Amino acid sequence: MTAYLLNLATLATIFGILAASLNVLIGYAGIFSVAHAVFFGVGAYAGAQVALNLVPDVLLASLAGGLLSGLLSLCLALPALRVRGEYFVAASLGLQMLAVTVFSEAHSLTGGHGGLVGIPPASLLGIDVSSPWRFLAVCVGALTLSLVSIAILMRGGFGRGLMAIRDSESAAEALGKNVPALKTIAVAIGCSLAGVAGTLFAFQLAFINVESFTLEQSVLLMAMVIIGGAGTLLGPLVGTLLLLLLPAVLSFIPFIPATEIGTVQQLVYGLAMTLLMIFRPAGLAAPSTGRR
Amino acid sequence: MLILQLLASGIQTGVLYGLTAAGFALIFGATRVFHVAHGATFVLAGYAFVLGAQAGLPWPVSCLLALVVAIGFGLFMDAFVYRPIQRHEGAFFTVFVAAFGASLVVQNLIQFCVGRGSVSVSTPLTRASEILPGLYVAPVFWIAIGVAVALFALVTMFLDRTDAGVALRGLSENPELLRAFGLSSRRLSALAFGIGSAMTVPGAILTAATSGIEPAAGAHVVLISLAAAVVGGIGSLRGAALAGLLLGITENLIIAVLDTQWSEAAGFLVLFAFILFRPSGLFGQAVRR
Repeated sequence: MTAYLLNLATLATIFGILAASLNVLIGYAGIFSVAHAVFFGVGAYAGAQVALNLVPDVLLASLAGGLLSGLLSLCLALPALRVRGEYFVAASLGLQMLAVTVFSEAHSLTGGHGGLVGIPPASLLGIDVSSPWRFLAVCVGALTLSLVSIAILMRGGFGRGLMAIRDSESAAEALGKNVPALKTIAVAIGCSLAGVAGTLFAFQLAFINVESFTLEQSVLLMAMVIIGGAGTLLGPLVGTLLLLLLPAVLSFIPFIPATEIGTVQQLVYGLAMTLLMIFRPAGLAAPSTGRR
Repeated sequence: MLILQLLASGIQTGVLYGLTAAGFALIFGATRVFHVAHGATFVLAGYAFVLGAQAGLPWPVSCLLALVVAIGFGLFMDAFVYRPIQRHEGAFFTVFVAAFGASLVVQNLIQFCVGRGSVSVSTPLTRASEILPGLYVAPVFWIAIGVAVALFALVTMFLDRTDAGVALRGLSENPELLRAFGLSSRRLSALAFGIGSAMTVPGAILTAATSGIEPAAGAHVVLISLAAAVVGGIGSLRGAALAGLLLGITENLIIAVLDTQWSEAAGFLVLFAFILFRPSGLFGQAVRR
């Protein structure tokens, strides 16, 4: 039972980082990406390759995962600079579908459908951190670091510039904000954090394959941010906890057959997304008189 | 003859993609709602047809049932999901998320009630016969083309010739002006949702009769519609239909050179390239946003 809870807590922390990183795009920059699982995946594969072929050092692997995701985030930044709204959603969908095919076909890098197996236990600067408690501590550290840096960034000029773009791009441009640069940096920050989360995920599971980086995952992440409250610091964490605990709670309800838990879970969060958008579009964590 | 055979099946999928995409484009053009639940409409219509046929209803009744379910779902989404959101000036992403949630609900409800696997109706119409050496074509091929062309012609004629059709086109261009003329934008958007949803029915029925339909099929349908609508130029019915046809053909022809896994990716590569280099699409005017 403790092992189960520890695993759940570690996963929740990792998804917390993911949701917080997606929130930089959706909540602060107004870039509605449905391709976030792509960068999660890139980070996971890159981190896993470093751990398998070089050293199983969390810091080094995370750096590699984060950097590669940050670099590839240009694929997302490019359409974000060209188009807005529906067009961008369509572009990110296209990117997501392409990436899933690449993940499952580039056997030498990603192991194809079989995935990468046998990722070695994690160490940090020579210290073994592979025990569940220690790895949880590493993940909590990473989450804290991400949240603090996001909070600091968003309070400063950079964050205010971003939010100005989100609310009115032409007004921000008229005020002399460098819109392309701000957007590109925001996308890069969000995606590299997702890459770091991916690396941690690879270490935690010791096995990764394309199943974790599909459109469904992107939508789940989006739901976490939206249900919790986009553009708030703690909203994505609330959303993460709710959506991750949901299957755990559902498995304790006796009359749902175990094989249908996934179905019921998706049903519930689909319903939650729709109802929230109708009655409380700013999310759960936002003040109730929230405006958008 | 492989190429010809692939071309034939490409055209068959393509005309149905085109029709479904045109429905999506009609809804988006008239109401500016990004109707991601369009795929759910498609799946619901397909299941209504299959369940009707399995219950022993004669096929015209099953088709009618599918039509009623599709239109009903479209109107329901318009009245109970999109309209309340738009009432408090909902941003487009709010609409998008709500629609996505609704399609998840539909997909999982069907999975829960009917099952995860695909269902189909067997008919003698799918039996292929050789019309040229090495080229096998089933009657379904001609039915798909005939129905799609006829329905598309009917809808374009409606939009061009009747008052309601002209008003519908007006709605996309200037809703305020339309209201000033005393027309109800609410009734017109319901009309758009009704027609647009009805346009998924032939595709849904023929898919159920040929390859079978599964709860998760909606995602693919909506991705294709969306890609076709963007490539064709958002809001342009002809563009979306043509782009849908092209996507269907590409998806099938690409199998001649690459593995089947790449066929879907090829379509999205085209979409991605269009958004980067020609966001107004094949037939679109300059992007407004």
